[in-house]
Amino acid sequence: MKVKILCFAGLRDFFPSQQEIELENIITVSEFKNFMVSNNPNAKEIIRISRVSLNQIIVNDSDKIQDGAIIAILPPSSGG
Amino acid sequence: MNHSLKFITEDILTLPTESPDLPQMGGYVIFVGIVRNINEGKSVTHLEYDAYAEMADQMISDILKDAQTKWDLVFSDCKHRLGKVNLQEIAVIVTTGSVHRDEAYSANRYIIDRVKHEVPIWKKEYYIDGSSEWSKGCIDESHKH
Repeated sequence: MKVKILCFAGLRDFFPSQQEIELENIITVSEFKNFMVSNNPNAKEIIRISRVSLNQIIVNDSDKIQDGAIIAILPPSSGG
Repeated sequence: MNHSLKFITEDILTLPTESPDLPQMGGYVIFVGIVRNINEGKSVTHLEYDAYAEMADQMISDILKDAQTKWDLVFSDCKHRLGKVNLQEIAVIVTTGSVHRDEAYSANRYIIDRVKHEVPIWKKEYYIDGSSEWSKGCIDESHKH
């Protein structure tokens, strides 16, 4: 399935701010996070502590990714 | 920048010069988050805020609605800066109004705590030695940062 991936803040040191890719054999958010870590093992810790949103809704590791989803990886917030 | 955003702005924030025109309002609380010159012992020159702007705007809207269901507010608002913010400039303003002060105080604290911990906004600190670093953010729950 085709998805759009958005990365913010410190994650941009490891990945492009946005990219469209074809995901194969990936169903859940947890599998997606493992896929991203395998693409850049140096990002393992920041991905571990980040939240993920699908189409701007925060999701859990067990949630399923749908075709066409906009997946955002959100490092811990530091606004204010 | 999407100009339909209500709560996220690249424009300079200023203190309200007058309270909202609401005759039933007896208490009005303003919290202002300001860029300070020292963080964790390092001299800061300025900050830059990044955000998932559309999502952040919606989340702030949802937090304000949640506050309105928890407390009997007659007014609530929150504005957060994006982009470069200099020392002593305002990074965030939360304003709450209620019939009596208690609810405005409580709701204001609730809103700023949730905005800091949950909303996808990130600050990068720039230091006097030319280095810079993304703030580590809300990994702990001490509410002191």
